[in-house]
Amino acid sequence: MAGRHSGWAYRLSRGLFFLILVGGAVVMMVPFIWTLSTSLKPLSLALAFPPVWWPHPFEWSNFVSVFTTVPLARWFFNSAVVAVTVTVGNLILDSMAGYALARIDFKGRTFLYVGILAMMMVPFQAVMLPVYLLLRELGLLNTYWGMILPTIVSSMGIFLMRQAFLNLPKELDDAAVMDGCGRFRMFWQISLPQVTPTMLTLALLIFVGSWNNFLLPLLVANQSHLWTLQLGIVEFQSEYATDWPLLMAASVLITLPIAALFLGFQRWFVRGIVMSGIK
Amino acid sequence: MNIEAKSASVDGGRGLKPRPGRRKFSRTRLNDLFAGYGFTLPSAFVLFIFTLGPALVAFYLSFFSWSLLNHMHFVGLANFWGILHYSVFWIAVRNSVLFACVVVPVQTVIALALAVLLNQNMPARGFFRLAFYFPSISSSAVITIIFMWMFNQLGLVNSFLSWLGISGPDWLGSPHFALPTIMILNIWTTAGTFMIIFLAGLQAIPVSYIEAAAVDGATGWHTFRRITLPLLRTTLFFIVVMGVIGTLQMFDQSFIMSGGSGGPLHSTTTVVLLIYNFIFAYGNVGYGAAATVLWFIFILGATLATNKWLGQTVDY
Repeated sequence: MAGRHSGWAYRLSRGLFFLILVGGAVVMMVPFIWTLSTSLKPLSLALAFPPVWWPHPFEWSNFVSVFTTVPLARWFFNSAVVAVTVTVGNLILDSMAGYALARIDFKGRTFLYVGILAMMMVPFQAVMLPVYLLLRELGLLNTYWGMILPTIVSSMGIFLMRQAFLNLPKELDDAAVMDGCGRFRMFWQISLPQVTPTMLTLALLIFVGSWNNFLLPLLVANQSHLWTLQLGIVEFQSEYATDWPLLMAASVLITLPIAALFLGFQRWFVRGIVMSGIK
Repeated sequence: MNIEAKSASVDGGRGLKPRPGRRKFSRTRLNDLFAGYGFTLPSAFVLFIFTLGPALVAFYLSFFSWSLLNHMHFVGLANFWGILHYSVFWIAVRNSVLFACVVVPVQTVIALALAVLLNQNMPARGFFRLAFYFPSISSSAVITIIFMWMFNQLGLVNSFLSWLGISGPDWLGSPHFALPTIMILNIWTTAGTFMIIFLAGLQAIPVSYIEAAAVDGATGWHTFRRITLPLLRTTLFFIVVMGVIGTLQMFDQSFIMSGGSGGPLHSTTTVVLLIYNFIFAYGNVGYGAAATVLWFIFILGATLATNKWLGQTVDY
């Protein structure tokens, strides 16, 4: 193999590959850099030709006036309430169901498992109308619960948790049964602490999915004080379509929490995609 | 489908084996029965209420005429008949299928190429992986608005094109360029996610296979074509299926970019956007439900077709 790794052709191809990667990375990052750049410009500079990449001085005031132009703080609060509740709900409910399907031997388990797997194949778009009607019937339109309940359990989450619990050794369970430990305590004190990496992965997947969700809030919330950030910024765009620096400042702020999570937990994000295939 | 195939491989059948030691203790078995249902019923209930039930209701509603406000009445198959004779439905089908046919191959090839490049010992691998994956963590709403800003007639893309001496089109306002703009957006956000899945697939291929090929004198391209690609088949299948399902469901980007109208001239009307508009804009719930049923069957069919095409296992 030594010959293959030292030839000029090998080095040339490696150099070429590296250049392709650099080009690709630039294409991937340009929209974000441009967003950041626009968010720090006065309106007059935003449409300048040729484009200005590094405004001088930075127009930091955009990040203040975006909060007074639209109720952005309120939307932040709404998004946080919904995303945190949905995440906590999924962690509890998905892990309980996943635990039972993996480790408790009971009649009807296979049936339940297959049924839950089948639910993974029903996209939300296919049920949006009946879900809307149901929420209307229950009086949950224009409430937080309306945006929380339909996503508080995820069949994908149950599937992930079941896989994690399947991989735990049986011996600890048997020992716990001998000691007269109840099922819930076994789940809570013995099994759950052993699957924290999967819990963290699931939490990130669910939180990001909920934070970024657009269709469900669109169906549920039609009063501006209940809008989430995603819904809010779209309405903001249709109303102030020309104030791009403010819109970009809002975009930066909306993406910031997710970007911070991503940079902090990169490894778990990657694990999550590999495990679920769902972003 | 792919999900079951995945579960079978990870599970290895362990979870479904009866545990003979337990059978004698009927009290334990009874406790397990209570515990089993106690643990699963809350989730099963929510899934029933918000997924299975609604799927059945959508089917039921497709046989009725209703505007959300008036009384429903049974019309048999009239909604299906009406939709199949509604020209905009076919425009929407064409847009959605075209969208999938362009986006899925392009994003799959880009994701695979990036993964193969990054699977080598490159400097700054971690940085590249982060840069390519980063777009997929941001929301469809924010990304769409950023693209509306960049593809604006006076935006960055046209500035760049005019620097090259090309007069750029009015991307969002032209019926010829609005859907391609969304295609670019979709490829840009999804390629990174699929790259990560390909990378995981590549890392599962034993290095000895590749080395054996090199010893036998195979070139890089041959190794990729004859060894890497066949061994990646399961991953490739998974990614194509996810891509097909995802693209056929596209809604957010069209809705946001066209302000809900699917314009200009229906050029960004996808089937899901049309379903949304049937229900909430045109007050024709029955059409919306019938289109949902047809589209769900179509997606299922497309998935099964992909399965037939790519799903055979390879023996080595």
